[in-house]
Amino acid sequence: MTGILLVARTHLFTAFRERITLFWVLIFPIFIFTILALIFGRIGQEGEINFSVGLVNFDTEATAAWEFGTMIEELFEELGAPQIEGKEPLFTLSQPEGGEDPEAFVAREQEALRRGQRAAVIVIPEGFSRRIEQRFAPAVVSTDSPSSTSEALTIHYSEGNPSSEIATGIIEQILAGVDREILKRTGRFDEEAAVPTETVWVGEASEIRYVDFLLPGIILMAFFTSCLFGIPATILFSRDQKVLRRYWVTPLSVPRYLAGLSIGHIVVGLIQCVLLILLGKYGFGASVSFVALQPVAFLLLAQITFMAFGFLIASIAKTANSGMAIANVINMPMMFLSGLFFPVAGLPLFLKAIVYANPVSYLAEGVRTSLGIEAGIFSTPLVVGIPLAWIALSIGVASRKLRWDVER
Amino acid sequence: MNAFRALLGTELRAFVRDKTTLFFTFLFPLIFILIFGFIMGGTGEEEQASLGVIIAPDANATALEAVLTETGLEEITRFETAEALEQAIAKRRIDFGLIWDGARLKFIYDPSRVQENYAFEQIAQGISADFNLRHQGLSPILDVAMIHVGTEAATDWFNVMVPGIIAFSILSAGLFAVSGHITAMKERKILDRMVVTPMPPLALLSAVITIRLAVVYISTLVTLFVSIAIFRLTFSVDWFRYTVFVACATLGMMGFGTLIAMVVRRPSSAANIASALSMVMLFLSGIYFPIEFMPGFLRTVSRALPLTYMAEAMRFATGVSDMSVLRFWAITLSLVGIAIVLLPFLARYVVSADRR
Repeated sequence: MTGILLVARTHLFTAFRERITLFWVLIFPIFIFTILALIFGRIGQEGEINFSVGLVNFDTEATAAWEFGTMIEELFEELGAPQIEGKEPLFTLSQPEGGEDPEAFVAREQEALRRGQRAAVIVIPEGFSRRIEQRFAPAVVSTDSPSSTSEALTIHYSEGNPSSEIATGIIEQILAGVDREILKRTGRFDEEAAVPTETVWVGEASEIRYVDFLLPGIILMAFFTSCLFGIPATILFSRDQKVLRRYWVTPLSVPRYLAGLSIGHIVVGLIQCVLLILLGKYGFGASVSFVALQPVAFLLLAQITFMAFGFLIASIAKTANSGMAIANVINMPMMFLSGLFFPVAGLPLFLKAIVYANPVSYLAEGVRTSLGIEAGIFSTPLVVGIPLAWIALSIGVASRKLRWDVER
Repeated sequence: MNAFRALLGTELRAFVRDKTTLFFTFLFPLIFILIFGFIMGGTGEEEQASLGVIIAPDANATALEAVLTETGLEEITRFETAEALEQAIAKRRIDFGLIWDGARLKFIYDPSRVQENYAFEQIAQGISADFNLRHQGLSPILDVAMIHVGTEAATDWFNVMVPGIIAFSILSAGLFAVSGHITAMKERKILDRMVVTPMPPLALLSAVITIRLAVVYISTLVTLFVSIAIFRLTFSVDWFRYTVFVACATLGMMGFGTLIAMVVRRPSSAANIASALSMVMLFLSGIYFPIEFMPGFLRTVSRALPLTYMAEAMRFATGVSDMSVLRFWAITLSLVGIAIVLLPFLARYVVSADRR
């Protein structure tokens, strides 16, 4: 027993003494969690996202009774001022400054949009209010489509730029609200008769926050990478540098060494898990609770499956360097083709085959289902059975093929 | 010259045998593109979303049907019961649902589709706004037209992401050429043995640089052509700018690799630092997600990273986004400047005694 604990302690100390191991085992998962939570956890939240938008209003003629162009301009100016103290406004608005030629301004803003410095440019055309008023006239109340884009309010955007696409979606929603307001003020739209909209979540659940969805995924990622790289690296480098050969002349047997290594790795996993949960809870307000039998059982199953996977790689690699190369090659497909971070429903069949064969897919679903943040698409026997099958396969191959000493 | 030719062959063999470098130079960008190309193939986009609809028998369906026809959604399926609709959403056969009972519009989502629900909710808001007007016999009074003014080539974020990945592969190949390959030679005392031969250190450096330049250029072309062949991506490559940029960026990153090698105490740590740094840069340089999505302080960090500018310049050279020609050459020449300043230190590093 002492030998097992000594190996476990050695493994643990090595993991935290080597700065680069510390980076991959602890710092990198914390970094990824922080980045993703800061970025994707804020999308759609007021005061947390800011788009640079250009706006020019050519609708300044005094002939129209209603100044719809000015109304839209003022609304965007209001949205360009911080709504919450200390937070960024929704838009950083750029408008022509005193005496600047509006046409030249539009050309400059379009150039800025092309270069990714603007998310959108809104151009309110000349005669915009007059044309709307004409459409109110009984003869043309049918509200036809605009005769040309030069008569319409134009939103200039850049298709390949996600910021531009999101900003455009928000601007369209704002303009839909303006549309409704105009129709309401002119007595055409009856607010009382408006059809209410209700949002319902499947299974009578409530909306899940991104950070609660992300946290279990990051914990599994941390387990997976530390086992995928850590186990083969420990075994193969120790074997190639003939450290293991020295172990075998002591009373330490292979099963005891494996037991010690496994205990050490489980403790590393426990430390990873605790630190990430604490960061999630106190840093980002995660509310998901891991203190229950099922999530703990799934996390343990995940750690054992990934450790077995590490043994499998150690057994098929001839040298430590080739072991690292194999780990590198399979790391990304296994991590990303599992639903851990990205939806995998729309993948083509040959990639779905990887998703279905991948134990990470089932473990991700098992952990999330047990935490109540996913309904789950696999049956419970599959969620437990596939990882167990991988454990059996990995241990089977490792017990036959893993070499514990360099070839003489 | 003979020494250079001999070292060229040796360097090529060493590169082919180094599985980790081979992976990061050739396989990593390809795997990344294959996975993300399929994952991002329209995730959360309106045209690709599927909607399940229930319209109560006694509800007026005309206005809703007209709105749904105009949404451009890829798939709209009618369901008979709320249970069947909910089950289809839970099993992800349908992205989200809508029930119109004649009094209210009820939108149903799967709470676990955290990353996609934002896009589905946007579609739902559009449907609701249009329906409300049509329901009262009205249609939008504002004429709104959308005009795409970006480059012709870029059609979606994945199209913009690919040049970023190419920039990352240049960064890692350049960094590891020094903080990985040369430092490993130092660690194994190969350099110590080489400097006592008549081989000029410059021949070794020239051989390393020549092989890396050739290999990096080929790898970027492979990545580019695979993404065109499989995902039908469109690029408008300016081959002169592209070639000059790949060469300058590779040299610049070898300069940064030199800096890492000089700063760390043990040569073997250089590769670890390089791999950790490159991974951190990958996430902060606007390759995975736009810089605009990041909080203010991370945007500042991002602007201090060379990879951010390399990705920008590569997007320009491949025609997926625009920038001023002056800015492009400023980035390219800055990278050459880094190489000119730092590579002489690499020559000294090669001939200096092992500091362990």
